[in-house]
Amino acid sequence: MRRYLLTLALPKGRMFQEAYAALKAAGLDLPPVEDERALLHGREGGIALLELRNKDVPVYVDLGIAEVGVVGKDVLLDSGRDLYEPVDLGFGACRLSLIRRPGDTSPIRRIATKYPTFTARLLKERGWVADVVELSGNIELAAVTGLADAVVDVVQTGATLRAAGLVEVEVLAHSTARLIVNRQALKLKRSLLKPLIAKLRNRDRGP
Amino acid sequence: MIPEGTRFLLPPEARLKAEVMGRLQDLFWRHGYEPVELPALENYDPQHPLAERAFKLVDRTGEVLALRSEFTTLLAKLLRPHLGEGVYRFQYAGSLWLREADAELGRFREYTQVGLELLGATGPLADAEVLHLAFAALEALGVEGVVEVGLPSLVGEALRASGLPEEAQRAAQRAIHRKNLPELEELLSRYPVSPEVAKTLLALPDLYGEAEVLEEAKALPLPPRARQALVQLEKTLELLERPVLLDLGMARRYEYYSGIFFRAYTPGFGLPLLGGGRYDGALWPKAAGFALGVERLLEALKPPSTQEAPQVLALDLKALKRFAGEKRVELFYGEDPLAHARARGIPYLARGEEIWEVG
Repeated sequence: MRRYLLTLALPKGRMFQEAYAALKAAGLDLPPVEDERALLHGREGGIALLELRNKDVPVYVDLGIAEVGVVGKDVLLDSGRDLYEPVDLGFGACRLSLIRRPGDTSPIRRIATKYPTFTARLLKERGWVADVVELSGNIELAAVTGLADAVVDVVQTGATLRAAGLVEVEVLAHSTARLIVNRQALKLKRSLLKPLIAKLRNRDRGP
Repeated sequence: MIPEGTRFLLPPEARLKAEVMGRLQDLFWRHGYEPVELPALENYDPQHPLAERAFKLVDRTGEVLALRSEFTTLLAKLLRPHLGEGVYRFQYAGSLWLREADAELGRFREYTQVGLELLGATGPLADAEVLHLAFAALEALGVEGVVEVGLPSLVGEALRASGLPEEAQRAAQRAIHRKNLPELEELLSRYPVSPEVAKTLLALPDLYGEAEVLEEAKALPLPPRARQALVQLEKTLELLERPVLLDLGMARRYEYYSGIFFRAYTPGFGLPLLGGGRYDGALWPKAAGFALGVERLLEALKPPSTQEAPQVLALDLKALKRFAGEKRVELFYGEDPLAHARARGIPYLARGEEIWEVG
Protein backbone atom coordinates (compact mmCIF):
# COMPACT_ATOMS: atom_id res chain seq x y z
CA MET A 1 0.00 0.00 0.00
CA ARG A 2 1.41 3.37 -1.02
CA ARG A 3 1.29 6.42 1.21
CA TYR A 4 0.25 9.81 -0.07
CA LEU A 5 0.20 13.30 1.34
CA LEU A 6 -3.47 13.51 0.42
CA THR A 7 -5.79 11.24 -1.57
CA LEU A 8 -8.63 12.76 -3.59
CA ALA A 9 -11.60 10.80 -4.89
CA LEU A 10 -13.08 12.24 -8.08
CA PRO A 11 -15.87 10.94 -10.31
CA LYS A 12 -14.76 10.12 -13.83
CA GLY A 13 -16.04 12.05 -16.81
CA ARG A 14 -16.79 15.75 -17.09
CA MET A 15 -16.89 16.41 -13.35
CA PHE A 16 -13.34 15.07 -13.10
CA GLN A 17 -12.08 17.82 -15.44
CA GLU A 18 -13.99 20.56 -13.64
CA ALA A 19 -12.96 19.37 -10.18
CA TYR A 20 -9.35 19.07 -11.30
CA ALA A 21 -9.38 22.66 -12.56
CA ALA A 22 -11.06 24.02 -9.42
CA LEU A 23 -8.70 22.24 -7.02
CA LYS A 24 -5.67 23.24 -9.04
CA ALA A 25 -6.83 26.86 -9.07
CA ALA A 26 -7.19 26.67 -5.27
CA GLY A 27 -3.48 25.93 -5.06
CA LEU A 28 -3.32 22.14 -4.70
CA ASP A 29 -0.24 20.62 -6.25
CA LEU A 30 -2.11 18.05 -8.34
CA PRO A 31 -0.27 15.38 -10.30
CA PRO A 32 -0.57 15.54 -14.09
CA VAL A 33 -3.05 13.11 -15.59
CA GLU A 34 -0.68 11.44 -18.04
CA ASP A 35 -2.09 8.03 -18.71
CA GLU A 36 -5.74 8.28 -19.74
CA ARG A 37 -6.40 4.69 -18.74
CA ALA A 38 -4.80 4.86 -15.29
CA LEU A 39 -7.29 4.98 -12.41
CA LEU A 40 -4.82 6.26 -9.86
CA HIS A 41 -2.68 9.28 -10.64
CA GLY A 42 0.12 10.59 -8.46
CA ARG A 43 3.45 9.80 -6.91
CA GLU A 44 4.15 8.48 -3.44
CA GLY A 45 4.47 11.31 -0.93
CA GLY A 46 2.46 13.68 -3.14
CA ILE A 47 -1.22 14.08 -3.89
CA ALA A 48 -3.02 11.09 -5.39
CA LEU A 49 -6.15 11.21 -7.54
CA LEU A 50 -8.57 8.29 -7.72
CA GLU A 51 -10.94 8.10 -10.67
CA LEU A 52 -14.15 6.44 -9.50
CA ARG A 53 -17.78 5.85 -10.39
CA ASN A 54 -19.61 8.79 -8.81
CA LYS A 55 -21.52 6.57 -6.36
CA ASP A 56 -18.23 5.19 -5.02
CA VAL A 57 -16.78 8.60 -4.14
CA PRO A 58 -18.64 8.94 -0.78
CA VAL A 59 -17.69 5.34 0.11
CA TYR A 60 -13.96 5.99 -0.36
CA VAL A 61 -14.15 9.23 1.61
CA ASP A 62 -16.31 7.86 4.44
CA LEU A 63 -13.96 4.93 4.97
CA GLY A 64 -10.94 7.23 4.94
CA ILE A 65 -9.23 5.68 1.90
CA ALA A 66 -9.53 9.12 0.31
CA GLU A 67 -9.57 12.15 2.61
CA VAL A 68 -11.32 14.47 0.18
CA GLY A 69 -13.74 13.97 -2.67
CA VAL A 70 -15.81 15.86 -5.19
CA VAL A 71 -19.26 14.55 -6.01
CA GLY A 72 -22.74 15.77 -6.95
CA LYS A 73 -25.28 16.55 -4.25
CA ASP A 74 -27.62 14.07 -6.00
CA VAL A 75 -25.22 11.25 -5.10
CA LEU A 76 -24.84 12.54 -1.52
CA LEU A 77 -28.61 12.67 -1.06
CA ASP A 78 -28.71 8.97 -1.85
CA SER A 79 -25.55 7.84 -0.06
CA GLY A 80 -26.60 8.31 3.58
CA ARG A 81 -22.96 8.65 4.65
CA ASP A 82 -21.83 10.88 7.49
CA LEU A 83 -19.40 13.26 5.78
CA TYR A 84 -18.44 16.90 5.92
CA GLU A 85 -19.59 18.88 2.89
CA PRO A 86 -18.09 22.31 3.47
CA VAL A 87 -18.13 23.75 -0.09
CA ASP A 88 -20.66 24.05 -2.88
CA LEU A 89 -18.43 24.06 -5.95
CA GLY A 90 -21.21 25.30 -8.21
CA PHE A 91 -20.50 23.28 -11.34
CA GLY A 92 -22.22 20.11 -12.50
CA ALA A 93 -25.67 21.62 -11.93
CA CYS A 94 -28.60 19.29 -12.45
CA ARG A 95 -31.87 18.39 -10.75
CA LEU A 96 -33.48 15.25 -9.45
CA SER A 97 -36.96 15.04 -10.87
CA LEU A 98 -40.06 12.94 -10.95
CA ILE A 99 -40.68 11.88 -14.55
CA ARG A 100 -43.79 10.31 -16.06
CA ARG A 101 -45.50 9.58 -19.32
CA PRO A 102 -47.40 12.66 -20.60
CA GLY A 103 -50.87 12.97 -19.09
CA ASP A 104 -50.37 10.03 -16.73
CA THR A 105 -52.00 10.92 -13.40
CA SER A 106 -52.72 7.39 -12.20
CA PRO A 107 -51.43 6.52 -8.72
CA ILE A 108 -47.74 5.56 -8.71
CA ARG A 109 -47.36 1.91 -7.85
CA ARG A 110 -43.88 1.24 -9.17
CA ILE A 111 -41.06 3.73 -9.45
CA ALA A 112 -37.70 3.13 -11.14
CA THR A 113 -34.52 4.95 -10.18
CA LYS A 114 -30.74 5.02 -9.75
CA TYR A 115 -31.37 6.69 -6.37
CA PRO A 116 -33.19 4.08 -4.25
CA THR A 117 -32.51 5.63 -0.80
CA PHE A 118 -33.57 9.10 -1.90
CA THR A 119 -36.68 7.67 -3.59
CA ALA A 120 -37.64 5.54 -0.58
CA ARG A 121 -37.37 8.64 1.63
CA LEU A 122 -39.53 10.62 -0.80
CA LEU A 123 -42.21 7.91 -0.75
CA LYS A 124 -42.20 7.88 3.03
CA GLU A 125 -42.47 11.68 3.28
CA ARG A 126 -45.34 11.81 0.78
CA GLY A 127 -47.08 8.77 2.21
CA TRP A 128 -47.08 7.06 -1.20
CA VAL A 129 -47.10 3.29 -1.29
CA ALA A 130 -44.99 2.08 -4.21
CA ASP A 131 -42.24 -0.39 -5.00
CA VAL A 132 -38.85 1.00 -5.82
CA VAL A 133 -37.04 -0.69 -8.71
CA GLU A 134 -33.33 0.03 -8.72
CA LEU A 135 -31.80 0.30 -12.19
CA SER A 136 -28.33 1.37 -13.23
CA GLY A 137 -28.74 3.25 -16.50
CA ASN A 138 -31.13 4.71 -19.12
CA ILE A 139 -33.80 4.97 -16.46
CA GLU A 140 -36.28 6.77 -18.75
CA LEU A 141 -36.77 3.47 -20.60
CA ALA A 142 -38.51 2.13 -17.50
CA ALA A 143 -41.26 4.71 -17.91
CA VAL A 144 -41.40 4.36 -21.71
CA THR A 145 -41.75 0.58 -21.58
CA GLY A 146 -44.11 0.45 -18.60
CA LEU A 147 -41.66 -1.24 -16.26
CA ALA A 148 -42.56 1.58 -13.86
CA ASP A 149 -45.33 4.21 -13.58
CA ALA A 150 -42.78 6.90 -12.81
CA VAL A 151 -39.06 7.49 -12.69
CA VAL A 152 -36.86 9.51 -10.34
CA ASP A 153 -33.79 10.56 -12.26
CA VAL A 154 -31.28 13.27 -12.83
CA VAL A 155 -32.15 15.91 -15.44
CA GLN A 156 -29.67 18.35 -16.93
CA THR A 157 -31.24 20.02 -19.94
CA GLY A 158 -34.28 17.83 -20.37
CA ALA A 159 -33.33 16.95 -23.96
CA THR A 160 -33.10 13.20 -23.22
CA LEU A 161 -36.56 13.28 -21.65
CA ARG A 162 -38.15 15.09 -24.53
CA ALA A 163 -36.53 12.69 -26.99
CA ALA A 164 -38.04 9.80 -25.04
CA GLY A 165 -41.44 11.50 -25.04
CA LEU A 166 -41.62 11.89 -21.26
CA VAL A 167 -42.38 14.88 -19.04
CA GLU A 168 -40.72 16.27 -15.95
CA VAL A 169 -43.60 16.38 -13.47
CA GLU A 170 -41.80 17.81 -10.44
CA VAL A 171 -38.32 18.92 -9.44
CA LEU A 172 -37.46 17.09 -6.20
CA ALA A 173 -33.99 18.49 -5.50
CA HIS A 174 -31.34 20.67 -7.06
CA SER A 175 -27.78 19.43 -7.26
CA THR A 176 -24.30 20.84 -7.81
CA ALA A 177 -20.84 19.42 -7.15
CA ARG A 178 -19.77 19.44 -3.49
CA LEU A 179 -16.43 19.11 -1.80
CA ILE A 180 -16.68 16.31 0.75
CA VAL A 181 -14.18 15.58 3.51
CA ASN A 182 -13.67 12.59 5.80
CA ARG A 183 -14.48 13.41 9.43
CA GLN A 184 -11.11 12.42 10.84
CA ALA A 185 -9.05 13.78 7.97
CA LEU A 186 -10.48 17.29 8.27
CA LYS A 187 -9.02 17.46 11.77
CA LEU A 188 -5.80 15.51 11.29
CA LYS A 189 -4.87 17.26 8.03
CA ARG A 190 -6.42 20.61 8.89
CA SER A 191 -3.24 22.58 8.08
CA LEU A 192 -3.73 21.47 4.49
CA LEU A 193 -7.52 21.34 4.34
CA LYS A 194 -8.65 24.45 6.23
CA PRO A 195 -6.93 26.83 3.77
CA LEU A 196 -8.13 24.73 0.81
CA ILE A 197 -11.74 25.03 2.00
CA ALA A 198 -11.37 28.76 2.54
CA LYS A 199 -9.98 29.25 -0.97
CA LEU A 200 -12.67 27.16 -2.61
CA ARG A 201 -15.38 29.04 -0.72
CA ASN A 202 -14.02 32.40 -1.79
CA ARG A 203 -13.98 31.15 -5.33
CA ASP A 204 -17.76 30.60 -4.93
CA ARG A 205 -18.38 34.17 -4.02
CA GLY A 206 -16.16 35.45 -6.83
CA PRO A 207 -17.41 37.54 -9.75
CA MET B 1 -21.63 -20.27 7.53
CA ILE B 2 -21.66 -17.08 9.57
CA PRO B 3 -23.84 -14.08 8.70
CA GLU B 4 -22.52 -10.95 7.04
CA GLY B 5 -20.92 -8.48 9.43
CA THR B 6 -19.78 -11.07 11.96
CA ARG B 7 -16.27 -12.37 12.37
CA PHE B 8 -14.35 -15.33 13.64
CA LEU B 9 -10.89 -14.90 15.08
CA LEU B 10 -8.01 -17.34 14.96
CA PRO B 11 -4.54 -17.02 16.44
CA PRO B 12 -2.90 -14.59 16.63
CA GLU B 13 -5.87 -12.19 16.32
CA ALA B 14 -7.94 -13.88 19.03
CA ARG B 15 -5.03 -13.64 21.44
CA LEU B 16 -4.45 -10.01 20.56
CA LYS B 17 -8.14 -9.22 21.13
CA ALA B 18 -8.07 -10.84 24.57
CA GLU B 19 -4.91 -8.93 25.39
CA VAL B 20 -6.35 -5.60 24.24
CA MET B 21 -9.49 -6.11 26.32
CA GLY B 22 -7.48 -7.31 29.32
CA ARG B 23 -5.22 -4.29 29.28
CA LEU B 24 -8.14 -1.87 29.11
CA GLN B 25 -10.06 -3.62 31.87
CA ASP B 26 -6.97 -3.64 34.06
CA LEU B 27 -6.33 0.05 33.42
CA PHE B 28 -9.90 0.99 34.34
CA TRP B 29 -9.74 -1.25 37.42
CA ARG B 30 -6.61 0.52 38.62
CA HIS B 31 -8.52 3.82 38.36
CA GLY B 32 -11.35 2.58 40.55
CA TYR B 33 -13.79 1.28 37.90
CA GLU B 34 -15.60 -1.89 39.03
CA PRO B 35 -16.68 -4.37 36.35
CA VAL B 36 -20.38 -5.01 35.78
CA GLU B 37 -22.08 -7.59 33.59
CA LEU B 38 -25.28 -7.12 31.64
CA PRO B 39 -27.41 -9.62 29.72
CA ALA B 40 -27.16 -9.72 25.94
CA LEU B 41 -30.96 -9.97 25.74
CA GLU B 42 -33.06 -6.97 26.70
CA ASN B 43 -36.76 -6.20 26.56
CA TYR B 44 -37.41 -4.18 23.44
CA ASP B 45 -38.04 -0.55 24.29
CA PRO B 46 -39.06 1.82 21.48
CA GLN B 47 -37.55 4.71 23.51
CA HIS B 48 -34.08 3.16 23.41
CA PRO B 49 -31.70 5.35 21.36
CA LEU B 50 -30.77 2.45 19.06
CA ALA B 51 -34.22 0.81 19.08
CA GLU B 52 -34.59 0.93 15.31
CA ARG B 53 -31.19 -0.55 14.59
CA ALA B 54 -31.19 -3.36 17.16
CA PHE B 55 -31.76 -7.03 16.33
CA LYS B 56 -35.16 -8.16 17.58
CA LEU B 57 -36.50 -11.55 18.46
CA VAL B 58 -39.76 -12.83 19.87
CA ASP B 59 -39.85 -14.30 23.37
CA ARG B 60 -41.96 -17.38 24.20
CA THR B 61 -44.51 -15.02 25.78
CA GLY B 62 -44.82 -13.21 22.44
CA GLU B 63 -43.03 -10.15 23.74
CA VAL B 64 -40.29 -8.57 21.63
CA LEU B 65 -36.71 -8.80 22.86
CA ALA B 66 -33.73 -6.88 21.57
CA LEU B 67 -30.11 -7.92 21.41
CA ARG B 68 -27.88 -5.54 23.36
CA SER B 69 -26.87 -2.61 21.12
CA GLU B 70 -25.05 -0.48 23.72
CA PHE B 71 -24.38 -0.69 27.45
CA THR B 72 -25.10 2.74 28.90
CA THR B 73 -28.90 2.85 28.67
CA LEU B 74 -29.56 -0.52 30.28
CA LEU B 75 -26.86 -0.01 32.91
CA ALA B 76 -28.42 3.27 34.00
CA LYS B 77 -31.90 1.75 34.10
CA LEU B 78 -30.80 -1.24 36.16
CA LEU B 79 -28.79 0.81 38.62
CA ARG B 80 -31.25 3.63 39.21
CA PRO B 81 -33.19 1.95 42.04
CA HIS B 82 -30.04 0.70 43.79
CA LEU B 83 -27.64 3.60 44.00
CA GLY B 84 -27.89 6.56 46.31
CA GLU B 85 -25.95 9.80 46.41
CA GLY B 86 -22.23 9.62 45.83
CA VAL B 87 -19.78 8.82 43.09
CA TYR B 88 -19.82 5.45 41.32
CA ARG B 89 -17.43 4.06 38.76
CA PHE B 90 -18.32 1.12 36.52
CA GLN B 91 -16.69 -0.60 33.58
CA TYR B 92 -18.15 -3.03 31.08
CA ALA B 93 -16.91 -5.21 28.23
CA GLY B 94 -18.73 -7.41 25.76
CA SER B 95 -20.36 -7.97 22.41
CA LEU B 96 -22.99 -5.74 20.86
CA TRP B 97 -25.21 -6.25 17.84
CA LEU B 98 -26.67 -3.91 15.28
CA ARG B 99 -29.08 -5.11 12.62
CA GLU B 100 -28.35 -2.70 9.83
CA ALA B 101 -24.70 -1.63 9.97
CA ASP B 102 -22.89 -2.21 6.68
CA ALA B 103 -20.17 -4.78 6.85
CA GLU B 104 -17.15 -2.81 5.78
CA LEU B 105 -13.76 -1.74 7.13
CA GLY B 106 -14.08 -1.70 10.93
CA ARG B 107 -17.89 -1.69 10.90
CA PHE B 108 -19.61 -4.88 11.97
CA ARG B 109 -23.02 -6.12 12.95
CA GLU B 110 -21.50 -8.00 15.86
CA TYR B 111 -18.77 -6.08 17.60
CA THR B 112 -17.08 -5.60 20.95
CA GLN B 113 -16.77 -2.63 23.28
CA VAL B 114 -14.89 -1.94 26.47
CA GLY B 115 -16.07 1.16 28.27
CA LEU B 116 -16.69 2.96 31.51
CA GLU B 117 -19.22 5.21 33.24
CA LEU B 118 -18.51 7.78 35.92
CA LEU B 119 -21.77 8.42 37.78
CA GLY B 120 -22.58 11.04 40.39
CA ALA B 121 -19.90 13.59 39.49
CA THR B 122 -19.97 16.50 37.07
CA GLY B 123 -17.90 19.56 36.25
CA PRO B 124 -14.41 20.13 34.88
CA LEU B 125 -12.64 17.72 37.24
CA ALA B 126 -14.93 14.82 36.36
CA ASP B 127 -14.65 15.63 32.64
CA ALA B 128 -10.87 15.73 32.96
CA GLU B 129 -10.85 12.33 34.68
CA VAL B 130 -12.81 10.73 31.86
CA LEU B 131 -10.70 12.41 29.17
CA HIS B 132 -7.53 11.39 30.95
CA LEU B 133 -8.71 7.77 30.91
CA ALA B 134 -9.37 8.00 27.17
CA PHE B 135 -5.76 9.08 26.63
CA ALA B 136 -4.51 6.44 29.07
CA ALA B 137 -6.48 3.71 27.25
CA LEU B 138 -4.81 4.55 23.93
CA GLU B 139 -1.41 4.67 25.59
CA ALA B 140 -1.95 1.33 27.32
CA LEU B 141 -2.38 -0.19 23.86
CA GLY B 142 0.45 1.70 22.22
CA VAL B 143 -1.93 3.39 19.77
CA GLU B 144 -0.85 6.73 18.43
CA GLY B 145 -4.10 8.60 18.91
CA VAL B 146 -5.47 12.10 18.81
CA VAL B 147 -8.40 13.00 21.05
CA GLU B 148 -10.92 15.44 19.68
CA VAL B 149 -13.28 17.26 22.03
CA GLY B 150 -16.51 18.93 21.01
CA LEU B 151 -19.20 20.73 22.90
CA PRO B 152 -22.63 19.72 21.58
CA SER B 153 -24.21 21.75 24.38
CA LEU B 154 -22.72 24.91 22.87
CA VAL B 155 -24.40 24.22 19.52
CA GLY B 156 -27.58 23.22 21.39
CA GLU B 157 -27.72 26.42 23.44
CA ALA B 158 -26.92 28.58 20.42
CA LEU B 159 -29.77 26.93 18.48
CA ARG B 160 -32.24 27.12 21.37
CA ALA B 161 -31.49 30.82 21.83
CA SER B 162 -31.72 31.50 18.08
CA GLY B 163 -35.49 31.95 17.90
CA LEU B 164 -35.64 29.59 14.92
CA PRO B 165 -38.69 27.31 14.76
CA GLU B 166 -37.98 23.76 15.93
CA GLU B 167 -38.00 22.28 12.44
CA ALA B 168 -35.42 24.85 11.27
CA GLN B 169 -33.30 24.23 14.37
CA ARG B 170 -33.06 20.59 13.41
CA ALA B 171 -32.19 21.46 9.81
CA ALA B 172 -29.54 23.90 11.06
CA GLN B 173 -28.12 21.23 13.36
CA ARG B 174 -27.81 18.85 10.40
CA ALA B 175 -26.06 21.51 8.31
CA ILE B 176 -23.66 22.38 11.17
CA HIS B 177 -22.96 18.68 11.71
CA ARG B 178 -21.87 18.37 8.05
CA LYS B 179 -20.05 21.72 8.14
CA ASN B 180 -22.27 22.61 5.22
CA LEU B 181 -21.93 26.38 5.26
CA PRO B 182 -23.77 27.06 1.96
CA GLU B 183 -26.83 25.15 3.20
CA LEU B 184 -26.73 26.87 6.60
CA GLU B 185 -26.53 30.31 4.96
CA GLU B 186 -29.44 29.51 2.70
CA LEU B 187 -31.47 28.24 5.66
CA LEU B 188 -30.82 31.30 7.84
CA SER B 189 -31.69 33.65 4.97
CA ARG B 190 -35.22 32.23 5.04
CA TYR B 191 -35.87 33.21 8.68
CA PRO B 192 -35.80 36.55 10.47
CA VAL B 193 -32.77 35.91 12.70
CA SER B 194 -30.76 38.67 14.35
CA PRO B 195 -27.27 39.42 12.97
CA GLU B 196 -25.72 38.16 16.26
CA VAL B 197 -27.46 34.81 15.98
CA ALA B 198 -26.51 34.46 12.32
CA LYS B 199 -22.90 35.35 13.09
CA THR B 200 -22.65 32.73 15.86
CA LEU B 201 -24.35 29.95 13.93
CA LEU B 202 -22.33 30.58 10.77
CA ALA B 203 -19.08 30.56 12.76
CA LEU B 204 -19.77 27.20 14.44
CA PRO B 205 -18.90 24.84 11.55
CA ASP B 206 -15.39 26.29 11.23
CA LEU B 207 -14.53 26.29 14.95
CA TYR B 208 -12.14 23.36 14.75
CA GLY B 209 -8.42 23.22 15.40
CA GLU B 210 -6.32 23.74 18.52
CA ALA B 211 -6.51 26.05 21.55
CA GLU B 212 -6.99 29.17 19.37
CA VAL B 213 -10.51 27.95 18.65
CA LEU B 214 -11.54 28.66 22.26
CA GLU B 215 -10.51 32.29 21.85
CA GLU B 216 -12.39 32.57 18.57
CA ALA B 217 -15.49 31.13 20.23
CA LYS B 218 -15.27 33.49 23.21
CA ALA B 219 -15.26 36.44 20.83
CA LEU B 220 -18.70 35.43 19.50
CA PRO B 221 -21.98 36.90 20.78
CA LEU B 222 -22.96 33.70 22.61
CA PRO B 223 -26.02 33.18 24.81
CA PRO B 224 -25.09 33.01 28.56
CA ARG B 225 -25.48 29.24 28.97
CA ALA B 226 -23.31 28.57 25.92
CA ARG B 227 -20.66 30.87 27.37
CA GLN B 228 -20.88 28.96 30.64
CA ALA B 229 -20.27 25.66 28.79
CA LEU B 230 -17.23 27.19 27.13
CA VAL B 231 -15.74 28.32 30.45
CA GLN B 232 -16.22 24.80 31.85
CA LEU B 233 -14.44 23.30 28.85
CA GLU B 234 -11.53 25.68 29.28
CA LYS B 235 -11.18 24.62 32.94
CA THR B 236 -11.36 20.94 31.96
CA LEU B 237 -8.53 21.36 29.48
CA GLU B 238 -6.42 23.21 32.05
CA LEU B 239 -6.83 20.28 34.45
CA LEU B 240 -6.17 17.72 31.74
CA GLU B 241 -2.81 19.31 30.84
CA ARG B 242 -2.70 17.63 27.43
CA PRO B 243 -3.25 19.02 23.97
CA VAL B 244 -6.52 17.98 22.37
CA LEU B 245 -8.11 18.81 19.05
CA LEU B 246 -11.22 20.91 19.39
CA ASP B 247 -14.32 20.98 17.24
CA LEU B 248 -16.88 23.31 18.77
CA GLY B 249 -19.14 22.76 15.78
CA MET B 250 -19.68 19.13 16.75
CA ALA B 251 -23.44 18.95 16.82
CA ARG B 252 -24.04 15.28 17.40
CA ARG B 253 -27.13 14.47 19.53
CA TYR B 254 -26.99 17.73 21.44
CA GLU B 255 -30.27 16.96 23.20
CA TYR B 256 -28.52 13.93 24.80
CA TYR B 257 -24.99 15.22 25.45
CA SER B 258 -25.18 17.96 28.06
CA GLY B 259 -21.50 18.93 27.98
CA ILE B 260 -18.48 17.57 26.18
CA PHE B 261 -18.43 14.91 23.48
CA PHE B 262 -15.16 13.34 22.40
CA ARG B 263 -13.62 10.86 20.01
CA ALA B 264 -10.15 9.55 19.28
CA TYR B 265 -8.59 9.11 15.87
CA THR B 266 -5.40 7.52 14.71
CA PRO B 267 -3.59 8.59 11.53
CA GLY B 268 -4.18 6.25 8.59
CA PHE B 269 -7.44 4.78 9.93
CA GLY B 270 -10.67 6.44 8.90
CA LEU B 271 -13.00 5.68 11.82
CA PRO B 272 -12.97 6.82 15.47
CA LEU B 273 -11.46 4.33 17.93
CA LEU B 274 -13.42 5.52 20.93
CA GLY B 275 -16.27 7.87 21.69
CA GLY B 276 -18.04 9.27 24.70
CA GLY B 277 -19.16 12.35 26.53
CA ARG B 278 -21.16 13.86 29.32
CA TYR B 279 -24.89 13.21 29.45
CA ASP B 280 -26.09 14.75 32.71
CA GLY B 281 -29.83 14.42 33.09
CA ALA B 282 -30.36 12.06 30.14
CA LEU B 283 -30.24 8.75 32.05
CA TRP B 284 -28.70 9.79 35.31
CA PRO B 285 -28.46 13.22 37.02
CA LYS B 286 -24.67 13.40 36.62
CA ALA B 287 -22.92 11.01 34.26
CA ALA B 288 -20.10 10.75 31.75
CA GLY B 289 -18.43 7.85 30.02
CA PHE B 290 -16.89 6.46 26.88
CA ALA B 291 -16.39 3.18 25.04
CA LEU B 292 -13.65 1.82 22.82
CA GLY B 293 -14.39 -0.24 19.72
CA VAL B 294 -12.23 -3.33 20.07
CA GLU B 295 -12.43 -4.45 16.40
CA ARG B 296 -11.33 -0.99 15.29
CA LEU B 297 -8.43 -1.03 17.74
CA LEU B 298 -7.37 -4.39 16.32
CA GLU B 299 -7.62 -3.01 12.79
CA ALA B 300 -5.54 0.03 13.75
CA LEU B 301 -2.97 -2.06 15.64
CA LYS B 302 -2.39 -4.31 12.59
CA PRO B 303 -1.89 -7.64 14.40
CA PRO B 304 1.36 -9.56 13.97
CA SER B 305 1.06 -12.16 11.25
CA THR B 306 2.81 -14.98 13.10
CA GLN B 307 1.72 -17.15 16.00
CA GLU B 308 3.81 -16.67 19.08
CA ALA B 309 5.96 -19.72 19.94
CA PRO B 310 5.93 -21.06 23.52
CA GLN B 311 8.98 -20.70 25.76
CA VAL B 312 9.32 -24.35 26.69
CA LEU B 313 8.72 -27.56 24.74
CA ALA B 314 7.73 -30.26 27.27
CA LEU B 315 8.68 -33.81 26.36
CA ASP B 316 6.38 -35.42 28.94
CA LEU B 317 3.26 -34.59 30.94
CA LYS B 318 5.31 -34.16 34.11
CA ALA B 319 7.34 -31.34 32.58
CA LEU B 320 4.15 -29.69 31.31
CA LYS B 321 2.70 -29.72 34.85
CA ARG B 322 5.98 -28.66 36.41
CA PHE B 323 6.71 -25.59 34.24
CA ALA B 324 3.32 -24.29 33.04
CA GLY B 325 2.98 -22.29 36.27
CA GLU B 326 5.87 -20.01 35.40
CA LYS B 327 6.30 -20.15 31.61
CA ARG B 328 4.31 -20.79 28.43
CA VAL B 329 4.73 -24.51 27.82
CA GLU B 330 3.56 -26.78 25.04
CA LEU B 331 3.54 -30.58 25.12
CA PHE B 332 5.42 -32.17 22.20
CA TYR B 333 3.98 -34.85 19.90
CA GLY B 334 6.25 -36.34 17.27
CA GLU B 335 9.67 -37.68 16.48
CA ASP B 336 12.33 -34.97 16.64
CA PRO B 337 11.76 -32.42 19.44
CA LEU B 338 15.06 -30.61 18.86
CA ALA B 339 14.36 -29.92 15.19
CA HIS B 340 10.80 -28.83 16.09
CA ALA B 341 12.04 -26.42 18.80
CA ARG B 342 14.63 -24.93 16.45
CA ALA B 343 12.15 -24.54 13.59
CA ARG B 344 9.68 -22.64 15.77
CA GLY B 345 12.26 -20.74 17.81
CA ILE B 346 11.38 -22.35 21.16
CA PRO B 347 14.29 -21.60 23.53
CA TYR B 348 13.93 -24.45 26.10
CA LEU B 349 13.27 -28.19 26.23
CA ALA B 350 12.07 -29.92 29.42
CA ARG B 351 11.61 -33.48 30.64
CA GLY B 352 10.34 -34.21 34.16
CA GLU B 353 12.07 -31.79 36.53
CA GLU B 354 14.86 -31.03 34.07
CA ILE B 355 14.99 -28.02 31.75
CA TRP B 356 17.74 -27.15 29.29
CA GLU B 357 18.43 -24.62 26.57
CA VAL B 358 18.10 -25.60 22.93
CA GLY B 359 21.63 -25.45 21.52
